[in-house]
Amino acid sequence: METDPRLALDLAGIKMRNPLIAASGCYGFGFDYLPWVDPRDWGAIALKGMTLKPRAGNPPPRLAETPSGLLNAIGLQNPGIDYFLEAIRPRLGELGCPVIANIAGESVEEYRELAAILDRVAEVSAVEINISCPNVRRGGISFGQDPATVEKLVGAVRRVYRGPLIVKLSLEAGDIAAVARAAESGGADILSLINTLKGMVIDVHSRRPLLGNITGGLSGPAIRPVAVRAVWEVAGAVSLPLIGMGGIASAEDALQFILAGAAAVAVGTANFVHPHVAREICRGLQRYLDEQGMGHYSELIGAARG
Amino acid sequence: MERKAEIAHRCLLLDKSEIARGWHLFELEAPLLACAEPGQFVHLRTGCSSDPLLRRPISIHYADAAAGRIRLLVQVSGRGTALLARSSPGEELDLLGPFGRGFPFLDEAAPALFVAGGIGMAPLFFAAAQRQRAGLPFEFILGGRSSAFLPPEEYFLDHGFAPLTATEDGSRGLRGLATALLEKRLAEANRPGRIHACGPMPMLTRVVELARAAGVPLHLSLESRMACGVGACLGCAVPVKVQGNIEYRRVCRDGPVFDGEAVCIGN
Repeated sequence: METDPRLALDLAGIKMRNPLIAASGCYGFGFDYLPWVDPRDWGAIALKGMTLKPRAGNPPPRLAETPSGLLNAIGLQNPGIDYFLEAIRPRLGELGCPVIANIAGESVEEYRELAAILDRVAEVSAVEINISCPNVRRGGISFGQDPATVEKLVGAVRRVYRGPLIVKLSLEAGDIAAVARAAESGGADILSLINTLKGMVIDVHSRRPLLGNITGGLSGPAIRPVAVRAVWEVAGAVSLPLIGMGGIASAEDALQFILAGAAAVAVGTANFVHPHVAREICRGLQRYLDEQGMGHYSELIGAARG
Repeated sequence: MERKAEIAHRCLLLDKSEIARGWHLFELEAPLLACAEPGQFVHLRTGCSSDPLLRRPISIHYADAAAGRIRLLVQVSGRGTALLARSSPGEELDLLGPFGRGFPFLDEAAPALFVAGGIGMAPLFFAAAQRQRAGLPFEFILGGRSSAFLPPEEYFLDHGFAPLTATEDGSRGLRGLATALLEKRLAEANRPGRIHACGPMPMLTRVVELARAAGVPLHLSLESRMACGVGACLGCAVPVKVQGNIEYRRVCRDGPVFDGEAVCIGN
């Protein structure tokens, strides 16, 4: 679609055509939708979470549908950073939009090592630290709950990564505002929120948990009001730009996050239902700006805060 | 950048009929999907609200490229498929696809053997019909609970073939399982060149054992809970053996048809 200057932004150094980001874990490495969907419909694409070594992921079943939601327990299945550098990196230019690498580790050292490698990868426009994956036993969410740990981790990554650094937050932390402030102190440039919420489904016929991993992460419209509240709260606690996400499927949904204080929004689960969702949301945002007679969407960021 | 293909299709539902208990046959006007291959699927929205949220993967049951039409066979098994079953001719359905890798070697001369359990017959019927049209030899084994839970015999005869049938209650064909028919067939001297199977997991497990013992190449069409349908979310993973290690493959993109020796079922 045509680039509309009213939607363009520079998100702490990520030059984006529009404020829409394909959420990590929902868009592979950017190529799965390529035969059908123009990646340039997105402002940026966040890649599937990566680890140092390949990860096989969790045993199936990995998915359970819930009312207006999706519970997943993929378990960070990914081919590892070496494969990424060798086989995926050379193709990233084909996407024609900024790419955000999402990284997960089991120790501060692993996060640091991944970030140091990505610091030298020009094809990657930003790094997102995943401290909020609910589906792996070690690492992931276990890093995201304690502010002091978060500050230390973000600081370690900050020292080796010079590009825009995003920290992805979880609501599983008791006090998300405190974790957000810790990420800010540690040197984050951007915060993204929220990751999925931990949940489970029990199969009453087999009388066992439905998911192979027992628990999973809930996404989709079911979590949207919770996510909007989280963005509202964090926007009041830090001065960093925010990427809001959680059940966004329409321009109206995206606007709620922007009005709550998000500078950009990410769309995950909705891609599975509407592969052209980015294009549709952009058109909806354009219509809204037309109707309101506004010059740039950024005038709406945090506008609900009064 | 020009996109190579359409992904989203709004297709007119031309006709709908219940051809077996709880099995609804949909005939759709779908010119861009009618080039689909046997074994591929479409990803179908079941309503227009966010609940149920996800699309449902449904095998293409038949495609008529000349007429620009496809058929889907939907077994009501939950809320999504129950909603689908309530749609009426004249409505438009929201489909993505065609997705996935279908049955291989359908154009080879050696005789093929199709083994279908219940609604697993949906994609195999398409494969068999293609061989029938091409004048290539095949046999079709069909198993089900009871005659009422299978399409009538005329349904197959209209496409020029008669399946060898087994029902658990003996109301049609042999009393017993499709795999009993397969076992008997593989004991004969002239073995098929290849087996294609689709059905419930216990059946597929037995088919793997029998095909392996007989040394006949096997291809399995698998089902899975699915979210994206295109390979992005890794939700529909199945374990496969790769050089002695277990790796996960995507039913939607790497399948739904897999090599029966590689995929980890009952072994």
